Amino acid sequence: MKFSNLFCVLSVASLAGFGGLAQAQWKPTKTLEVIIHTAPGGGNDLLARAVAQIMEKEKLLPVRMQVVNKPGGNGAVAAAAIAEKKGESHTLGFITSAWIANPLTTSEAKVTVHDLLPVANLLRDPALFAVRADSPYKTLKDFIDAAKAKPGQLKQSGGSVTSRDNIIRNTLQASTGAKWVFVSFQGGGERLAALLGGHVDIMVIEPQEAGEQIRAGKLRVLAQIADKPLAAYPNVPTLKQAGFDVVATPQIRAVVAPQGMPKEALAYYEDLFLKLHLTPSWKKYVEDFMLEDAYSSGADLGKSIEVIEKDIRIQFQLAGMKLVR
Amino acid sequence: MNSLIRRGDFWAGLVLAGLGMHIVTQAWGWDYMTEEGPGPGFFPLWYGTVMVVLSLLLTIGAVLKKVPGSQSKQVSWGEMRRALTCWAALAMCVAILQYIGFMLSFGMLTLFIIAGMFRRPLKEALAYAVGGGMGFYALFSWALDLQLPVGSLFQQFL
Amino acid sequence: MDILNGLMQGFSVALTPMNLALCFLGCFLGTVVGVLPGLGPPATIAMLLPLTFKMDPTGAMIMLAGIYYGAKYGGSTTSILLNVPGETSSVVTCLDGYQLARKGRAGAALGISAVASFIAGTIGVLLLMLVAPPLAKLTLAFSSPEYFALMVLGLAMVVLLAGDSLTKALLSMTLGLWIASIGTDLFTATSRFTFGQTALLGGIEFVIVAIGIFAVGEVMANMEPEKPVEMLPVPKGLKNLLPTWQDMKDCKYAFLNGSLVGFFIGILPGAGATISSFLSYGLEKSYSKHPEKFGTGVIEGVAAPEGANNADTAGAMVPLLTLGIPGSGTTAILLAALVLWGFKPGPLFITESPALFWGLVASMYIGNVVLLILNLPLVALFAQLLKMPGYVMYPLILGVSIIGIYTSDSSIFQLGLLVLFGLVGYVMRKLDFPTAPLVLGLVLGDSMEKSLRQSLMMSQGDLSILLRPIPAALLGIAAFLLVVPLIKKFNATRVQMIDSEA
Repeated sequence: MKFSNLFCVLSVASLAGFGGLAQAQWKPTKTLEVIIHTAPGGGNDLLARAVAQIMEKEKLLPVRMQVVNKPGGNGAVAAAAIAEKKGESHTLGFITSAWIANPLTTSEAKVTVHDLLPVANLLRDPALFAVRADSPYKTLKDFIDAAKAKPGQLKQSGGSVTSRDNIIRNTLQASTGAKWVFVSFQGGGERLAALLGGHVDIMVIEPQEAGEQIRAGKLRVLAQIADKPLAAYPNVPTLKQAGFDVVATPQIRAVVAPQGMPKEALAYYEDLFLKLHLTPSWKKYVEDFMLEDAYSSGADLGKSIEVIEKDIRIQFQLAGMKLVR
Repeated sequence: MNSLIRRGDFWAGLVLAGLGMHIVTQAWGWDYMTEEGPGPGFFPLWYGTVMVVLSLLLTIGAVLKKVPGSQSKQVSWGEMRRALTCWAALAMCVAILQYIGFMLSFGMLTLFIIAGMFRRPLKEALAYAVGGGMGFYALFSWALDLQLPVGSLFQQFL
Repeated sequence: MDILNGLMQGFSVALTPMNLALCFLGCFLGTVVGVLPGLGPPATIAMLLPLTFKMDPTGAMIMLAGIYYGAKYGGSTTSILLNVPGETSSVVTCLDGYQLARKGRAGAALGISAVASFIAGTIGVLLLMLVAPPLAKLTLAFSSPEYFALMVLGLAMVVLLAGDSLTKALLSMTLGLWIASIGTDLFTATSRFTFGQTALLGGIEFVIVAIGIFAVGEVMANMEPEKPVEMLPVPKGLKNLLPTWQDMKDCKYAFLNGSLVGFFIGILPGAGATISSFLSYGLEKSYSKHPEKFGTGVIEGVAAPEGANNADTAGAMVPLLTLGIPGSGTTAILLAALVLWGFKPGPLFITESPALFWGLVASMYIGNVVLLILNLPLVALFAQLLKMPGYVMYPLILGVSIIGIYTSDSSIFQLGLLVLFGLVGYVMRKLDFPTAPLVLGLVLGDSMEKSLRQSLMMSQGDLSILLRPIPAALLGIAAFLLVVPLIKKFNATRVQMIDSEA
């Protein structure tokens, strides 16, 4: 190595060391509250509890992490709760893409994700297009063709009309000209039951929910909504590989902080989640639950949120939904 | 006219008819039927209409009752005053809960009920107020680790 | 014989000292959780989950399941003694249970509730053991049209719960339906009746309405007389401390009713325990020899719904374990716990993890016995609590109500709603509006609307989807239930008119 390069490396390293020392000075002193928008048992609730457990195991946090459930309003209540803690250093929130989508159609949501500070993105939820094992569709193209032939006759079960399930449906409908019905069900269990019972034809489901049904041979996977094929499903084509080059709005799971959080605290938490992402316990968790590790820092998260919101906005407008902001 | 006003059914009917009309007018503004199925206005329109019809029936029924106090309940303000006072105390308790915390506001409510409403000796009321507040605190906050409101006035001391 | 083998294996797992202790602990915690309104099994299980990571999974599951069905036992205590539903599914027990307590028969009510829970719980586990896999097919056959018909059947019960004025009962019900639709519409993301409030976007929690109308309303009504009437007469003598043999005989159909209705509704993920207790209660009233006495303190009116909500727990295990489909908040967390421990609930679960499945089944048998033993002596203890003077009980009830709501959703807004519904409950009481139909409308309204819209979406607007075999049968029964009392009433009015003209 040339001497000047070595000097650069050394100075950067020492600066980083000093920088690290300076940052290491702020530590949380009381229980860290993590606010989530689901009731106990919901998606982010389990994630938060898993994170708490991993943090404890890997000794990443000197204090306890407490999960606070604030369900209601598809995230609006939790968002308001986080905003109330303006300037505090011991409150964080876990969000999903629903926090970006829902305020677009709900005027009562007074606090949006733009009023909160991005800390880090942790995951992206992959999803699968699944049909019953005895259905006539062997590929996603089969289904789309059938939908084109019989517009409005085929049915997909899914969540709320602003959920990822419906957004990807709108995207595909727009790009292929096919049309099929979206039937909303409140709970994941009901959606799966509707598909298994033959009342709907297709659904978008998370690998973890579908895993057992697939293993038992009751469900067939047509395609996966992910950028790269999941380790557990190497032979299932991604949307792109299946011939549908569309933008699939991701379902993200990220961490945010209230406005006004002191810079040192914010930096501490950014660093904390970076460390979390590197631990073996986290890697095992991601693998066990068939999730997609998609860590990004606070700044990058902020940019992704902008992009996601833009995409969702377009999709909602295409679907004819009324936007309030 | 006096006996009319005293007919509880009459007023209940009117209030519910009013609510029903509100429901129907709101529901009118939403989609009754979309191409995919019934819209958000479908159900409210139906039960709102039923509400209006039934409540008008109730009101008319109350008006037509010639024999006073036969079937519909007479509204007697005397007895209700005590109950409503208690309710007002409860409402106050909840309103100031966020400022002075659970123990104090609950204590005050207990004091009000025991000493004020039932005229028990002040010492006895105080004993229950303090004992009750501490008891709840011990059970919930300490043993079960569930947060009880501390009150914003005291937050700064924590 | 497979089943017998499985059961033997299960008992060998469940009867280890560690697992027995965990079962006991779970049942005990469950009873406590059930007694405290506002604190439910989902939150408790979620809180205990981190502790279970260090435990053996089978033992941990036994404990968590114990909390689940233990809560159903405890939920009836506050319903009967304080008119406060400890668990949402215990709200039906308030109807006759509290009235029995007012008559001095609190002990009998508590006792029969424990006995009914035991019998129904045991029958439920028996059915779970014998017919779980084939039932999975039945679970899947039920979809939106079937659920819609079931909800209509439930609402038809309002006629049975009407009492004197059908108009008022129906008005009560429409009020309940309205409260149920407050919030964000699932299908179109439109907000309905939220009055611009963020906090109302998620709708109004059932617990708040129930506790407000029942508990707070009742306290207010009790404030009226100057001198506090003794809160509830303390049961005198053993006769009133425990159910008598006559009581048990009266309830023999109620036990069966509760077990079957509870279990079969329990296997449906889209129908909750509250629905099974309502249906069981309504069914009991419909074939009773003295239907008009229901609501005034009839022992079967406690036995049926209490049995139903216990059998429902066993039923809910069917879709959970055989399909991996949770039907309620609690089963969702149990599912999450199973997945976290590395188990895979689904079609292959019973064959791949027989130790867990049969261990769980066996522990449910044991748990039912443990709970019966735990609860019967508690009856005597709780009955003694009634010795407290009224003016101490009322603040106590108000305090418990406030805490109950605050711990499940810590916001002043929700407490404000509680106070509001307290007033509503009081006014309804004064004006003779029955409260049960409101609760019924609230519980069923949301489900009914969603099922209807889903059905019509599935059939592209074709109403005949509702005439598939199962919905048609259920709608037929509902029509029957609606028409028969109306005809009876019509005839009675006709007779009355004829008499008065004579």
